[in-house]
Amino acid sequence: MSPQAIRAEHLSKTYAGEGAPVTVFSDLSFDLEPGVFAAVMGPSGVGKSTLLHLLGGIDRPDSGRVEIFGQSLEDLPPRERARFRNERIGFVFQFHHLLPEFTAEENVSMPHRIAGLSSEEALARARDMLVRVGLAERGDHRPRALSGGEQQRVAIARALARGPSLLLADEPTGNLDVDSAAAVFDLLEELHRERGMTTVLVTHNPDLAKRCDKIFAMSREGIRSATGLSGQG
Amino acid sequence: MTFESFVALRYLAASRKRAHVALISTISVLGLAVGVAALIISLALLSGFQDRIREQMAERSAHVVVSPVRGDRLPDPEAVRRALTALPGVLSVEPAIEGRGWLSDASGRATLPIRFRNLPKESERIVAGDTNVPSARLSSTAASRLDVTVGSLVRVLSTHTRLSPIGPIPIEILVRVASIRRGSALEKSPDLELSESTARLLTGMSSGSRAFEARLADPDRAEIAARSVAETLGPVYRVQTWRDLNAPLAFALRLEKVVIFATVALVILVAALNIVSNIALLVVEKKRDLGVLTSLGATPGALARVYLMLGAAIGGLGTAGGITVGVLASALLDRFHIVPLPSDVYLFSHVPFAVHPGEVAIVALFAFATALAAAVLPARAAARLAPAEAVRLSR
Repeated sequence: MSPQAIRAEHLSKTYAGEGAPVTVFSDLSFDLEPGVFAAVMGPSGVGKSTLLHLLGGIDRPDSGRVEIFGQSLEDLPPRERARFRNERIGFVFQFHHLLPEFTAEENVSMPHRIAGLSSEEALARARDMLVRVGLAERGDHRPRALSGGEQQRVAIARALARGPSLLLADEPTGNLDVDSAAAVFDLLEELHRERGMTTVLVTHNPDLAKRCDKIFAMSREGIRSATGLSGQG
Repeated sequence: MTFESFVALRYLAASRKRAHVALISTISVLGLAVGVAALIISLALLSGFQDRIREQMAERSAHVVVSPVRGDRLPDPEAVRRALTALPGVLSVEPAIEGRGWLSDASGRATLPIRFRNLPKESERIVAGDTNVPSARLSSTAASRLDVTVGSLVRVLSTHTRLSPIGPIPIEILVRVASIRRGSALEKSPDLELSESTARLLTGMSSGSRAFEARLADPDRAEIAARSVAETLGPVYRVQTWRDLNAPLAFALRLEKVVIFATVALVILVAALNIVSNIALLVVEKKRDLGVLTSLGATPGALARVYLMLGAAIGGLGTAGGITVGVLASALLDRFHIVPLPSDVYLFSHVPFAVHPGEVAIVALFAFATALAAAVLPARAAARLAPAEAVRLSR
């Protein structure tokens, strides 16, 4: 039996803010099968982004454990965790977060460079990826010279550069106009199907969420499937 | 090009376009360059003086001196002469006939305690001439104190005695001043230099010697020569080189160099503080990028190396600039005698500058290592950054 794409058990996370500590969630569990395109919805501040950060291993839960394709992130030393992230997990952020000093193709080549590929190889692969997201002509443009939709497509190309098994997208269309948002979502959906990835998409847009395989609703109480319980906090 | 150097070089190049970062980066690079240049020029100045002093020491001192370990006469002067003469590259071997006494003008009014010794054979022509009255070379200090000039007669009273009908009396002779020599603080030159025969007369030493001195074609081979002579002659003789004889001065010169290095190197340390603030600013500015790079799989170590490479790039630029300016300035200062010295006071007519490649290498290594060390603190901060927080706070 193949492992779950995501198995998150009894997660809790509290931030030490300037005032009293803020508990984002406690005892949250969340499972997802491989190959599913899942949408996570919920009001602001319930910890959707925090959940993605924990699933992607760029943050650590105060308690609980996260397994991605059967690999416990907690059990990996920092170096191995970074390599796992580089090879198996892609991130797309709401504000694209492209590196402003680098061109589009250099941004997309960055995961390959981190993996130790040569500049030429990394750039060649980045160009192929930009062709796939429809930005073949924009490779040598800096992010500020691109439109919002183009910036987000470059960010998607960068997230998928290493062919990850899991894509974590944090409101990737939240900052775009309706048309651009639809185009970016279409691209994400296409790439998801084409590559057989598991995708977790945080969104506030119910129309886009409806097009996903599964919808999860997140609240202060926990996370549950909108069509049936997937997990309980 | 590795991921770390790719990112570091791009950050450095891009910083030119952001005025405040560009200003701080420029100050960092210039600060380091000024420190390196100052250090190279200071060391070139000291090396210039030291080289000239060393040259003069080598020129005016005997290179190998053999004296008895005990007593004031060589047990076997001929054996010593043979051992020294057999040395490869030997130019001259001379006995050292020296003593102390008093000098007065012919009238006997002013009297001065002096040291006298024989001139090397090759220089005896200076005091050749009048066969009745021996000639001598007098130091300028003694000449001025006695108020005598070339051609004057002076009276020398030795501390050695000779037997007379009324008992032992000091040996006394009249000599003519054949030339006056400008003295130097660097050499232990005697006040009065005479021919060997006159010196023997004054010391009452008709044969033998208290020491033998050899001059070599290559003074740098003095240590090897001294070792070979010591092996030949055995332990009853003390064999010294010109470096041994001038050891206190050489030590003082080395100490001076170390002190100047330590003092001027403070400029580099101050420049390193600029580098700390420059790189720390870049860490803060690029906080979001660091979070993003972590999400792409960069390890904390890789992020730290990005900033270490920035330190290395700033260090490399500053060091290279400083070396160029320092070496060029030293060469020009030396070539065109830009800093003159009053030649009647100093040994040289201008301040000499000499750039030693070894010293430049030490300065370069020190400056580069300091710049790299300055980057360690901000680099560690970059490695410790919480990526999720960086990504979240930078929306």
